[in-house]
Amino acid sequence: MTFSPVLSPRPNPPGTKMATNATAAKAKALAILNNSRAVPSPSVASTPGDGGLDLAEQMNDEVRRRFVSGTRLGEGTYAIVYSGHYRHDPSKLVAIKKIKLNADFKDGIAMDAIREIKFLSELSHPNIIQLHAVFSTKDQNISLVLEHLPLGDLEMLWKNHSISYGGADIKSWANMLCQAVWFCHENYVLHRDIKGNNLLISADGTVKLADFGLARSFADPGRDMTCNVITRFYRPPELLLGCRHYGGCVDVWSTGCVIAELAIREFFLPSETDIQQLSVICDVFGIPTEETWPGVSKLRHYEASFGAAAPKHPHGINYWKQRFPLLGEDGIDLLRGMLRMDPMKRLSATQVLQHPYWTNAPRPTKKENLPKQGGGEKTMGEDLKRRGGEIETGRLDKVARKLDFGAMKK
Amino acid sequence: MKLSEDDIYRTSTQYKHWSFTPAQLAAQRQKTNLVAAERVKANVARQRATRAKQLDTASASESDRANTPGIENGNGEGGSTPARPGGEVECLTVAEEMKLVDVFCERALELGAFCGFPIEVTATGIQFLRRFYLYNSPMTYEGQNISRTCIFLANKTEGIHVTAEEYAAKFSNVTSDQVLAPEYLIVQALRFNFDVRHPFRGLKGAHLELWEIAKGKFAPLPHDSRTGEAAQAEMLALPTKTGEPAGKRVSVNEFEKRLTATYNAASAVLKTAALLTDAYFLYPPSQIMLAAHLLADEPLTLFYLSTKLPPSSPIHAKLLSTIRACATLLSSHRSFTSSSTIKEEKEARDKKEKSAVAALIKKLRHCRDPDKLDLVQLNQAHKRDAVQDGSLEEQKAKRRKLEREKAKKEADDFWGPELPKNGAKAG
Ligand SMILES: Nc1ncnc2c1ncn2[C@@H]1O[C@H](COP(=O)(O)OP(=O)(O)O)[C@@H](O)[C@H]1O
Ligand SMILES: [Mg+2]
Repeated sequence: MTFSPVLSPRPNPPGTKMATNATAAKAKALAILNNSRAVPSPSVASTPGDGGLDLAEQMNDEVRRRFVSGTRLGEGTYAIVYSGHYRHDPSKLVAIKKIKLNADFKDGIAMDAIREIKFLSELSHPNIIQLHAVFSTKDQNISLVLEHLPLGDLEMLWKNHSISYGGADIKSWANMLCQAVWFCHENYVLHRDIKGNNLLISADGTVKLADFGLARSFADPGRDMTCNVITRFYRPPELLLGCRHYGGCVDVWSTGCVIAELAIREFFLPSETDIQQLSVICDVFGIPTEETWPGVSKLRHYEASFGAAAPKHPHGINYWKQRFPLLGEDGIDLLRGMLRMDPMKRLSATQVLQHPYWTNAPRPTKKENLPKQGGGEKTMGEDLKRRGGEIETGRLDKVARKLDFGAMKK
Repeated sequence: MKLSEDDIYRTSTQYKHWSFTPAQLAAQRQKTNLVAAERVKANVARQRATRAKQLDTASASESDRANTPGIENGNGEGGSTPARPGGEVECLTVAEEMKLVDVFCERALELGAFCGFPIEVTATGIQFLRRFYLYNSPMTYEGQNISRTCIFLANKTEGIHVTAEEYAAKFSNVTSDQVLAPEYLIVQALRFNFDVRHPFRGLKGAHLELWEIAKGKFAPLPHDSRTGEAAQAEMLALPTKTGEPAGKRVSVNEFEKRLTATYNAASAVLKTAALLTDAYFLYPPSQIMLAAHLLADEPLTLFYLSTKLPPSSPIHAKLLSTIRACATLLSSHRSFTSSSTIKEEKEARDKKEKSAVAALIKKLRHCRDPDKLDLVQLNQAHKRDAVQDGSLEEQKAKRRKLEREKAKKEADDFWGPELPKNGAKAG
């Protein structure tokens, strides 16, 4: 990390005129604390007449009152998502993600919620879902107020055969996805759960990366990370082999899988178990060896996985051309760069964006011309049920993600 | 296609919500103090009124009276509020509150070290603590509970899974309920901003860059016409004190020692003074890092800056004066020692500090908000959403005395020498 010579001016540089009377100071304090703009601060001072509420409690209540929650939109592993709107303007829609209260969770606020709030608060990018506000309710339920994304997700899109699309559309969606991933990595954030149904689509057709419940910052070298992340179909070989030090390359693999899915309109590497996942990968890419991937034989699960296996060789270019005609030759080159077995040889998110695929013909379809599906009711519960919990201390998670095979049958 | 450190910092919640001018900080603290003091006074008055009513109605014997919950025995010792009817409670001043918060932070630093948590976790926890007390007073919420839970929360926000039970077990007489009780209170006060930007990585980055230059692999920015060789030569002959003429050129190996020493000294400041002062509120991480670096080796830091900005540019001058101001803040902290610090002086300072803190803690006991002593109960009440005004008054009064005693005991545990259960160092 290098130091930038540009000064970081504070929002209110020294010498800014201070408000003199107490109310103004208070309003200022509230303004500083408040994440959201243009809302009148409560004028009541926190005196014993306020029912004993702390300043922070008052502000939380004030944020909460700003939103109205409506019908259920969807459900994930740790949250239920409702549609909602601003109280003062019902035309301003939001999605309210209410963290499920888990009775057997004895450790306070769930890690998923903390991670999602932490990272979304810091990331502001057109292809990353925007977090408008966070509040908690009286019964100590935390809710995230998110930007409303009514047009489903990328997985629904390729599954919906009433929609037809072509190579330029794929390029457009893929590019938005890659921008999002690049931005996360530039901010030292790993997403670790990139997959079609975490890529939501806004009313104007923009793809937005969502669900940061498994995200984390890049680790300092030497600090162990869990390898039990990323939904199985999208999990890169190094994680399946038990690698505990990894970087952005894990997200690039998942991103490659999503792009492949868009192109073939089916899951690219589906499997039923972690072991099978590895073998499905090797069917396409061959069994890695010290020559093709230096260091691979030292990974924890290498011996168990490949010790006695007959060698498998990677598919040649013809396989790719036959399977991915919609990507074109440059698209295939990019895809294969994103799906290199050896993470050291895999493209970084920056390199992905520098690939000629994006600028070669056909030009990516303009957002407004992208095929869209009808908004609204999604049949939820189709979400691939879900992640193994992130447990950095090494306890391997027993509840690895179960896949919903009902959802896979076309 | 690269975002600069500054682009990244400017979108952070730390920059948007937790950066202040000194005047803003002072004003907010004044405000918090005022609100808390008013509330303490009102709650104590209400408590006294309830008590007086009980006295009127009960034709109690002297001995009964002595046992009536909430009745004080006059001198106010034992964690009670002074009983003189109508007597004003003497509340903490802003300066006293700040002092206490600084002490909480020092204790939190020890706590993190004792538990063997990575410095990022402890550092984040300490910033949570400082942010919390910008909008809450120690009179309302006492430090031991809040700091304990801040460190617990920091583990989670830094992505480290620690169960409440495991964590509670590190302390004597602390239950996981107690660890969890103030969590909502804290996350609300933090406005759910969980990301804290630290200067540690920046320091590592600077160290590596300097090391590259020392090896002759200088990658100059456009403003810089120095060749790799020239930059290396200049660096290897840097004087040890600013203003001195260039010294004798030393070998790269020799210079590496200086780099390492500088890194260690700067790192020590980042792990103490930078956390225990208002530095994070007042300066971005890059400037805190440079200030610590400046304290460790000024000529080297000035050289480093010259590779980043043309020394003639006005930005350079402005940045340098900001860094110097930050360095002054860091070096003013008690923990800061330089080669010129005299040992006896430091010991005397520490001793004086200790007795000042003891006096403060005593004063705090007389001005605690009686409504906020039992956080576990408060938390449960919140969860049930069942705090009904008035009806619980009586029960509350009874409990309050118990709570006061318990709180005092806990406080003793906290402030006393035996923070850990078995006194042993954690791994
Ligand atoms: N901003 C949103 N707008 C509309 N629907 C949403 C939004 N966020 C989530 N959903 C719906 O809720 C589901 C679960 O949300 P997600 O963030 O993926 O939660 P989880 O982390 O539990 O998987 C999504 O698959 C989607 O259908
Ligand atoms: Mg999801």
